[in-house]
This record gives sequence, structure tokens and C-alpha cells, in this order.
Amino acid sequence: MTQRTIFHIDVNSAYLSWEAAHRLQHGDSLDLRTVPSVVGGDPTTRHGIVLAKSIPTKKYGIKTGETLYSARTKCPELVIAPPNYLLYQRCSTTMKEILEQYSPLIQQYSIDEYFLDYTNMNKLLGDPIEVATQIKDRIKHELGFTVNIGISTNKLLAKMACELEKPDKVHTLFPKEVPVKMWPLPIEDLFFVGRATSKKLHSRNITTIGQLATSDPHWLRLFLKSPGLLIWNYANGQDDSLVRTTRNIVKGMGNSTTIPFDVEDRQTAHLVLLSLVETVSMRLRQANVCAQLVSVSLRTSEFLSYSHQRKIPTPVDCTNQIHETVCELFDELWTGKGIRHLGVSVSELCKNDFIQLTLFTKNFEKQRAIDQTVDQLRLRFGSHAVIRSSFLNSGLKALTGGVIQDEDYPMMSSIL
Amino acid sequence: MKLLMQPIEMIAWFTQEGIPNPLRYKLTSDGTASIVVKVDRIVTRSEEKIAGNRMILFRCQSEMNGLLKLYELKYELNTCKWYLYKA
Repeated sequence: MTQRTIFHIDVNSAYLSWEAAHRLQHGDSLDLRTVPSVVGGDPTTRHGIVLAKSIPTKKYGIKTGETLYSARTKCPELVIAPPNYLLYQRCSTTMKEILEQYSPLIQQYSIDEYFLDYTNMNKLLGDPIEVATQIKDRIKHELGFTVNIGISTNKLLAKMACELEKPDKVHTLFPKEVPVKMWPLPIEDLFFVGRATSKKLHSRNITTIGQLATSDPHWLRLFLKSPGLLIWNYANGQDDSLVRTTRNIVKGMGNSTTIPFDVEDRQTAHLVLLSLVETVSMRLRQANVCAQLVSVSLRTSEFLSYSHQRKIPTPVDCTNQIHETVCELFDELWTGKGIRHLGVSVSELCKNDFIQLTLFTKNFEKQRAIDQTVDQLRLRFGSHAVIRSSFLNSGLKALTGGVIQDEDYPMMSSIL
Repeated sequence: MKLLMQPIEMIAWFTQEGIPNPLRYKLTSDGTASIVVKVDRIVTRSEEKIAGNRMILFRCQSEMNGLLKLYELKYELNTCKWYLYKA
């Protein structure tokens, strides 16, 4: 097989660039990218963290994920824009339309990242670096935001190349360039190395990617287990994953929400859980799967996290049945402290066309029929066309979880 | 030309291919006085899709109080809204 050519396309400060381009198109005279600005949630509903930041915020030391309050103390004239996920989705699809003109093999890795397989396309379109520059400039002129493009022979190196210098740049990181361009970087910059792993490596005096690459993989395996081998391969620029056009197989799904106020009573907590189960079970049924494991997580107002899970003898996809288990789990878990955050997730999924029943479980056939009807109504007339009466006048949302209602939003992933 | 981006009321005609042609628009300033402008000539037409949002940009000219004025109109396909973009 000839050597592959892979592009990784990454939007520079995506949420903020898209918001800035959108505002400029609608006649705003200020370009958000040129002033200290962030995209962040609404602090009054306790969603006040920095989601994306402009490059001028760097000198104030504002970090992604910190609270808007602390960001504002660092820079009082900070401009804060609310998130608009529909806009992000639209920008991402339009960008894909441009990329599709350069290769039939494109993988959406997250909302602002794409992999493009350019192998053998040079015979048709020309030199990869020239084409990458052309793609970058086209996106800038036609769509009004800048991207970084990394070029290499596999996905990992292409992604690492993309991170080298921002914004609006094309970088290459071919295997022969790895010792010069990648090895001097700190270990935290390597894909897959997070806080926990970098701490372990630092304690063993590994601070750069080069040191990791030249260390003994068997020794790494002793304290990092099998991910140790993986990151050793990554440090040496070895990765053989393919550019996939289909999504990964879903192993589990879940939704969670930060509640605008502290929940103090059981009834309200059960209602919030119901609104989460509504969306989770709807996703289960849409994917034609049933779950055999249900888990509940909660975070108290003191930021302590707890979780609890249980296996169910019969695979389920029925809202009421999942909610029943979820409430039991919650009652066992909750100690009575104020709750800030609740989450419901399901896993151990199996196909829903054949289900082994047990003798002594309740019959949920009728419930499943009504679930199906409600799903159809919501699909046709909007997600809030039918809601449960228990939510009336409760001040709570009847369905929670997910960034855009009814839409599949690509989230970040650690699998290439 | 100054950037205005002011929403306007519009009478336009569309070709069989779906291309809009502005004819006459009403500009309301401060919610009180309004003026109606007849589009005399469309000089150029171009399309942009900044941030994935398609808009058609028209550079037009009209005679106003004996003077020939040049200005730009924008049509947002997603919302079917017309704007006086620059004047």
C-alpha cells in the first residue's frame, strides 16, 4: 500500500470565530476575535463557564472551562457572547460541503474537526500542501473564519500537526519530522495524555514527548497498563486508524443537567430525573436498542459527586420502566444534601428486535406502545408537543439534556 | 458608504430560476417617518455564505432628490428578510 496522506482540519477557537463571523455578517462593526471575548453560558442558570475564548484573552490568563466570574475579574472589559449551537452545526456542515470537493473520505471528528483522506488524490488535484492552503483560504474567504490544517501520513500526526502554531496555518508533520517538531513538546500536548497520565509521567521524570518515545514500552505498561503502549506508539508517531465515514458503534448513552437552583426535596429530584429519562429513552428507541444497565449520577451543591448503577434482568427502552429504576437508585444514593447536577445514563445495549423476558417482571407492553405514539407526535410536531402533566407549573423543563433538541450533535471523543 | 444593516420592507420579483430582484422598499427610521425608494438599477449581484448563512448581496442605485445614490441590499435566504446593508 502506498503511504497515506491525511489532513486534519480544525477551526481556530471555533465557537468564538463562528459567533464573530455571524455577527459581522449581521452588521456588527466589532470583530470579537480582535478583542478579549469569550463564549460562555448564562451565569444565572449556573451554566457560567468559558466555552471558547479569543486569542487576545491569552494575556489575561483566561482558560477554557473556568467560571465567567473569575474570567471577568481577570479582565473587566471582557465581551461575553451566549452559545448558539444551531449556528455551530450550520457552520460545521457548510465547512464539510467545501471539504467534500477534495476527497470522498471525510470523517467528522467533532463539531469543529474533520479528518480528510487525501491519499492518491494528488494525482487528481495536485500537491497536498498547495491544496491544503487552498482549502484554508477558501474557508476563510467564503465562510469568514480561519482554520488550521495538519498534514501527515496518519490521523494522529495530522492532529498533532494541527496544534503546532495557530491561527490560519498549514503544518506538516511527516514521520521524519517527528523528532524535530514533536519531541521537544511537553508531554501534556500529546493526544490521549490527560491530567492523570501526565501526573504519573512527571513523577517518573518524563516531561517531553521525546522522553516518552525513547523510554521502554514494557516499563510504561507496568504503571499505565495498556494505554501506556498506546501513548508510546503515539509519541513515536505510530497510528493505523482509518478515516471512517460512519460513526463509532454506540456503547452507552446518557444525559445530564445542571439545575438552576439547589434541589432539596425528593419529589423535585424525581421530576428532574424523569425529564432526563425522557430524552435518554427517546434516544434509545431512535437507535433501536434496549439497555441492560442503568446508572444515576449526582453532584451536590458542595461539588461532591456520587453515582450508582444497577443491572436490569430484562433489556428496557420504556420511559416509565427506566424511570422506576432510576428513582430507586436515586433514593439509595441520596443523603439529603442540596443537589446541583443530575445525570442518567444507560449502557450494555442490545438490539430491540428480540428480547428475553423473565417470568416475574411487570408487563410494559402498553407503556411501550404509548412511548412509541409520543415519540411520533414529538417527531412530527416538535419535542414539546406532548409533555407529562406532572411538569405543569413545576417550573422545570419537561425534557432535558442534549445541546440541541432532536438533533445529533457530535461531541468530543478520545477515539481517533 | 456607511454600514447600516437595517431591516426593510420589500417588494421584489423572482425569476423562474428563483433569483430575487428587488423593486421597491420602505425604510422606517425611528418608528415614525418612512420613505419608499424605487430600485432603479441592480448593478451587481453576489452570494455569500459567511458562517454557513447564505445571503444575496445586491449593489443597486436609485435617484433620490435629483441625486444618483449607490447602496447595497442584502437578502437572507434562511429567514427571507431584507436589509439595507450599506448606504
